[in-house]
This record gives sequence, C-alpha cells and structure tokens, in this order.
Amino acid sequence: MNYRNRFKSFIKKPQNIILVSLAFILIYLTVIPMITIVIDTFTVHQSELMRVKGAKVGDFTLYHWTKVLFSSASKKIFYEPFLNTLFVSFGTCFIAILLGGMVAWLVTRTNLRYKGIISTLFIFPYIMPSWTLAMAWLNFFKNSLVGGAPGIFTAITGVQTPNWFAYGPFPIVVVLGLHYAPFAYILIGGILRNMDANLEEAALILKASRAKIMRKITIPIVLPAMLSTFLLVFSSAMSAFAVPAFLGTAVRYQVLTTQMFRTLNGLNPGYGYIMALLMIAIGVLILGINQRIIGTRKSFTTITGKSSNISLINLRAFRTPVSVVLLGSIMLVCIVPLISFALESFIMEPGNYSLDNFTTLFWVGSGSPEIANGEPGILRNVSILKGLWNSVRLSVMVSFIAGSVGILAGYAIVKKKNTRLSALVNNLAFFPYLMPSMAFGAIYLSMFAVKRGFIPPLYGTFALLVLVGSVKYLPFASRASVGAMHQLSNEIEEAGTIQGIGWAKRMLKIIIPIQKASFISGYLLPFISCMRELSLFILLVTPSSRILTTMLFQYNEKGWNQYANAINLLIVLFVVASNVVVNRVTGASIDKGIGGN
Amino acid sequence: MPQIRLQHVTKRFGKAIAVDDLNIEIGDGEFVTLLGPSGCGKTTTLRMIAGLETPTEGEIFIDDVCVFSSEKGIDISPDKRNVGFLFQNYALWPHMTVYKNISFGLENMKWDKERIDARVKELLTMLRIEEFHGRYPSELSGGQQQRVAIARTLATGPKILFMDEPLSNLDAKLRMEMRTELKRLHVETGSTFVYVTHDQLEAMTLSTKICLLREGLLQQYEPPLDVYHYPSNYFVADFVGSPNINAIEMSGEQVNLDEIKLTSEDLNLLYTPTTSSITIPKGKKLLLGIRPEDISIVEEGTIDAVIYSTLPSGMETIVKLEIGKLLITCVVFGGVDFEMGNKVKIAFDAKSYVLFDAESEKNLASGTLS
Repeated sequence: MNYRNRFKSFIKKPQNIILVSLAFILIYLTVIPMITIVIDTFTVHQSELMRVKGAKVGDFTLYHWTKVLFSSASKKIFYEPFLNTLFVSFGTCFIAILLGGMVAWLVTRTNLRYKGIISTLFIFPYIMPSWTLAMAWLNFFKNSLVGGAPGIFTAITGVQTPNWFAYGPFPIVVVLGLHYAPFAYILIGGILRNMDANLEEAALILKASRAKIMRKITIPIVLPAMLSTFLLVFSSAMSAFAVPAFLGTAVRYQVLTTQMFRTLNGLNPGYGYIMALLMIAIGVLILGINQRIIGTRKSFTTITGKSSNISLINLRAFRTPVSVVLLGSIMLVCIVPLISFALESFIMEPGNYSLDNFTTLFWVGSGSPEIANGEPGILRNVSILKGLWNSVRLSVMVSFIAGSVGILAGYAIVKKKNTRLSALVNNLAFFPYLMPSMAFGAIYLSMFAVKRGFIPPLYGTFALLVLVGSVKYLPFASRASVGAMHQLSNEIEEAGTIQGIGWAKRMLKIIIPIQKASFISGYLLPFISCMRELSLFILLVTPSSRILTTMLFQYNEKGWNQYANAINLLIVLFVVASNVVVNRVTGASIDKGIGGN
Repeated sequence: MPQIRLQHVTKRFGKAIAVDDLNIEIGDGEFVTLLGPSGCGKTTTLRMIAGLETPTEGEIFIDDVCVFSSEKGIDISPDKRNVGFLFQNYALWPHMTVYKNISFGLENMKWDKERIDARVKELLTMLRIEEFHGRYPSELSGGQQQRVAIARTLATGPKILFMDEPLSNLDAKLRMEMRTELKRLHVETGSTFVYVTHDQLEAMTLSTKICLLREGLLQQYEPPLDVYHYPSNYFVADFVGSPNINAIEMSGEQVNLDEIKLTSEDLNLLYTPTTSSITIPKGKKLLLGIRPEDISIVEEGTIDAVIYSTLPSGMETIVKLEIGKLLITCVVFGGVDFEMGNKVKIAFDAKSYVLFDAESEKNLASGTLS
C-alpha cells in the first residue's frame, strides 16, 4: 500500500488520532520540562549572580554541580539531606509493610472479628492528607523546648517530651509509615486474596506445619508483591514534603524535598534542580525495578483458583483481644487526630486546655487586632473561603481534564497495544508519576514563567495550576483506564462498529457505561489527590491563586496554630466526605485505583 | 455473480505474515468455512473481509463493489459493508438487556419505535428467546447468550454473516444443537455465511465449501467431501477426518505401465492410480494415505494383523492394529468389539486411497490397492 493511502486509513481511526496528539502534547509537557531541568542545572539564574562571579544570567556553569556534589559545603547541602531521605524512606517502608502486611494477613487469612470496619477504616490514613497525622503529632507531643506552647500530652501529664520524640526522624518515620501502611495493606492483601488457597492446602495435605507453610509457601508467593510495595512506598516517602516540613523544620532536620524547597525558593535554584533531577533518576530506577518484579509476579497470580473456601486460621483465645486492640488502634489513628484539630481550633491560648479558654473566634469570630493581625475566623474569612473555592475549582477542573484524557489515553493505548506508538504514549502518560511533586512544580515554574510559543507566560495564573495538576495526576487516570480497557474485549466495541454505531456513541453508550466504576475512580483519584496536594502547588501559587493547602502551610509557618488546625479539619472532612459520596453513588473507591481489587 | 472476492490479499503484522496472497471467491448464499490450526490467519481473513482489520495489500469486493483496495486507497468502514458479525465470546453489551442489545443497532439506524419493536419480537421468536427479553446477559446461560448474539447480528438484516468460532465456548451437547440451528438459519435467511473454526468436524458438517489455511497460505478451497476424499496435500488429509488418516511411509517403483509397487518393512502393496497416470522413479519415497474406514477386518483378508487396542463407542469401534512394527488405526461400524492381542486378517478394498510425495507432501494421485 502506498504511503498516502496508508496515511489516509491511519487517520481514519480515532485511536490513532488520540495517540498522535497525546504523544505530541505529552512530549511537550513531560519530556521538554525534563530537558529544561537538565539545562537549568548548568545555567546561572538571576538569584545566583552574586555567587557565580562574573557571570550573566543564562550563562553555562558547572558551579551548581561542583558545589552540590564536590565541595566542602556539599555535606550540608546535599549529602546530609540525601542520607536523611534514605533513612526516612527505609524506615517508612519498614513500618508500612510490617503494619500493612500484618493487617492484610489478619484480614484475609484469619478469623479476625470486625473485618469490614477494619478494612474500611485502615484505608483512612491514606485518604487523609499526609500531614494530617504530622499535625496531630505536633498537637499532642510538641514541647516547649523549641518554643511555643506544649501539646496536649504535656498539658495532661506535665511530662516534657524529649526533642527526638517530638521532632525529627522518629516522628517523620512513624507518621509516614502510618500514612503508607494502607498502601501496603491494599497491595499485599490483594495478592493474599487472589492467591490460590489450593497452594497452601496442598502443603497442608503433605503434613507441613502452619509455620512451615507460612515460611515456604505463603511468604515466597507474596514476596514479589512485598518488594513491589517496598519500592512504591520508598519512592512515595522519598518525595514526601509536607510531613518532613512539619516535623523536621523545628530541629533543622532536612531531607531532599525540604532542602529543594529552600533552595528553589531561595538563592540557589540550580541546587534545587540538581536535587530534583537526582530524585527523578532514583524514581525511574525504582519503577524500572518494580516493572521487572511485576513481570515475574504475574506468573504467580495467573494460577488463581477457588480461593473462596480457604480455611481461615483460628486465632482461638487471641481472637477477641487481637480484634479489639487492632480496631482500637486504627480508630485511634483515624479519629483522634480529627478530635485534636477540632480541639486546637477552639482554644484561645495554645497549650491551655481549661474550659474557660475555649472560643469559637477562629471559626466564626470577626477577628481582633491583637490576634493574628486581625484575621477573622475561617468561616467568615474571605481569603480562606476564596482558597476553599480555588481548591474545589482546581480539583474539579484537574480531575475533569486528567480523568477524561485518561479515558481517551487508556482507550487508545489498549486499542493499539503492541505498537511502538502505544508504548510511547503509555510511558509518557506514566512519566509524571515518577517526578517528585516539588520537582515537577519547579520545572513548570521555570518553563512557563516566560512566553512559550503560542502559550503566554502562565506564572501566577490559575491555568498553570490546572495544567500542572492535570499532567501530574494523569497517571492515576490513565492507569485506571488502561486496566479497565484491558478487561473489556475488543469485540464489545466491534459489535457496535459493525452495526454502524459512530465512535462517540460507542464510547458514551457502550464502553464508558460498562467500565463506569473504573473510569469514575480515574476521576476521583485526581480530585482527592489534588484537594490535598501541597508540594506540587506550593511553588506556583500567588496570592490571587492561593488554595487551601498552601494557606494551611503558610498559617502554620506563621504559627497561627488554631487557624491551621481549623483549615486542616476543613480539608480532611471535605476529602473524606467526597470520597464517601462518590463511593456510595457510583461504587468507585480510591483503593480500587491504587491497586486494590 | 460472486458475492465476495478476495484478490491477492496479504496481511503483515510487522515482519510476520498472517495471510499470504489469498485469492478466493465466495458465491451468493454459500456457507464457507475458513478452517485451519490456530495462527493460520483464518480469523484475520474474516476480519479483513468485515473491515475490522486493514489488509496490507490486495483488493476485496463485496457484491462487485470494491470495499478495499490498497492500490486505489479504498477502505470502506465495516458498517457500510452491510455485513453482520458474530463474535467468539458473543460480545453482548453487559449493561443492556436482551431487548436493548438487539434494538440498539436498529435505533441507531433511526427506525421508528413500532418497527423496531416488531423486528425485535420477530427475532426473539425466531431464536426462541422471548421469555428472556428483560434479562441481562450475565443472567443467561451460554447457549442463550449465543442466541441473543445471533439475534442481534441478524437484526439489521445483513446479506452476509461472519462468524468467528461462535460455538467454541459452548459445551459439547449445546454445540451439537447450535450446529443444527445454524444450518437451519442459513437456509431460512438465505444469507451468505462465512464461518471461522479450527474444528474440522464443524467445517465438514456445516459448510458448502471449506477454505483450509496453513500459516497464511491457502491449502485447498473445495466442498467438504472433496477435501476429505481428495486432499491436495498431506497436511489437509491429516487435518480433516477423525480419527486421523493413516500415513504409511513406503518406497515406490513403477512395475507395469500403470501400476506401482509400494514396499515398506512390513507391507507390500500394488497401487493402481485412477485419477491420473503418474510415473514414479524407482525408490522414490511416498506416503500412502489410508482413511480408517477404508480398512476392513475380514476373514478373507490377505494381510495379517494383531489387535493392539480397541475403543468401542457403541456406534463404531476404533481399532488400533499392529502389522509387524507398523501401527494403524481403523474404524469398524456397529457395536462390535475385539479381544486385544488377537490375530485378524485385513483387506484394503475401498475405492480410493491417496498417494502423496513424501518430500513435498503433495497429492500425487488417488487409486486402488491390491
């Protein structure tokens, strides 16, 4: 067939048009930023003129690289935060997998009580913004050694918490570990649930003991999932910003992300770009390893069978105590933080929990000049309400764009699977997942500060936030959609094609309705992630485009504790409520999208 | 007038050739089966005619209208080819009721309500699924889903019906039943059926013509009984028929003008070609094809054999015989059984046996044995 004809039949298919346009758009929005970031590590920026002697803005320089990696200051600038990041990430993985794996095993393999409520509530810390637990930790355990009022724990017991307990690596690891434990729970639980019980029963019949079965059968089969969980938690923990910022700043405990924030926001953007680049490199490496592991993991899970009538391990005398303690601790982690936010937002003078100290000033007060520059209570505060409105508006727009593009991307990727173009778009759509949010924000900051082609300078506009959010969360939507499309046989659509049903109608009336739940979770995930996102937007917001999370961060930095707590409560309630509503209405849920069933 | 014509159709996936320079004509009202082992290109061929797959080269005509031509850059979309397609897994839309599944295509053609209703009812009756009209596909058994899929395909009244292994997901009993139904449907609708299967029995029993493919190459395109009795090569002979044809390696020698002496370690036979006269150089390696039903166990037989094993099924008994070291399969009709290890006499007294070239596996001639 000659090229003209081949081209003609190529562009007649919607999936080809989608793939080609997505390839162009995504290259522009992900690959080019990568290149600019590399260039940025070699250029002199405005704020660095003082340090790089005799240079002009835009000059080529090796200053950043030598300074970050090979100078006497390198230890403070890079190596120390880098080691801290490694420590925090490994610690987080350890706690998350231990907790998540244990709960997954208890829920799927034993006769634990309250399974329903435990598995619902256990996901909770993952749905809540990551810093929720960090703030709760501060509310409880902060001490007066660093300054400010002590937390609830000290107020009640009179015992000063030591610094290592209140701030720095220990609480960061605990809080991140709790935050990502549900992630491990979902991944490991999924494998345990899908694993053919016959594999274990076969060993049982051969007279292997329970312990031996666990050691020789169950764990080896679950191991790839655990490794995969480990890598995903590791990369998430590595790019976490809010938690280390909340818990580490007081004792100057820096990790790569907080260090990146300081340098990008401060005098050395070049340093920040190098750190961003290194973090992306680690992310790519981790995902590469993960994909190899998943490739081999599949060979285990394809042998699934009737795992319904698995014999559950009888916990006997431990059944009730274990169930009660587990449920109790999960409730503690889920509900007590919320109570602490409510409590903190109603007290006048921080650290004083007597009844006459309570006030509604920070919620509905009109503001008094001696407190927080006369800032009115958050429900009457125009700028906070504007922030809320911005957050909602942003999340809705981002989820609409990411979700819709994700559906189209998934459709076209699966439709043209095994072609190079499809693989390219699939990888491009996944690429933003690898970029630490902060780094991603930084790239867009540098890329769109000036006019690019027909795109006007976007810095400070709301559109930039929508753009960066949509690209960053596209992986969630495209993954959900690719998964959904893989389950749908091609013939379902062809049955429509052959009857003359047009493409739009086939999508709207056949494909989308059938995989409704997965597609909706493709909208839900970006929405909720966006609602609670801080590090992605923190470099990009300006006073006019402020959103709730960045305001929370600012209020917290200013030490306006009550406002911060009130705003946080608002965000948590909003996120949880929207998750519950969507779940009830459509049956889609967040755990579906992140690897659950 | 041929209804479907494929000219030099080739389909490549990357470097792999799925269909290689295929030329066939399918006449009006025929029931053609595309038969072959998996990966032979039969489904690809069907999908190319339907327009679901784009050929790399060649031309396809339906009712003398060119629907595809790589030369002229014609590629008419599937819905404008006025064809129906029945999928292997039925591809029923799970979120629509049986009624809606059937009516959806008609609604799309902007028929008015009463007409749609009448047509759907007609189909429901025709396929005997009236009582299921309000159900969802997941609430139906495999056979019922199959009927719904057929009804949906027939709804728009296509003149040509494509079927891609439609019975392979059914159990043996239902499959038998649906074969009967399909054959009846073929007569009732008067449409042209093109049917893909890897089951030679299905192809034999259903079709008016079999198109046998192997690795993208056409092997034979003839009515089922011709394919059975006059296979064009050993591959075809081996593919159709159950139990399989016996192939005995022998070396040939022209003895008289028209007779060939066939010898092997355990057998010596005289072969008389009846279809064409052939000349065999001495010592040429040949394959003698003997259908199991063309061996008779009779007292006046001339060859000694030992019963190796028997598989009686009531209607027939499949008997494995040992002639020296040679193991051959034969079929005896009626409810007879033999004692394993017994000595019997056999005869090759049927009208035709096929001779193949052992090297090229091509059919050389049909003839008799003595």
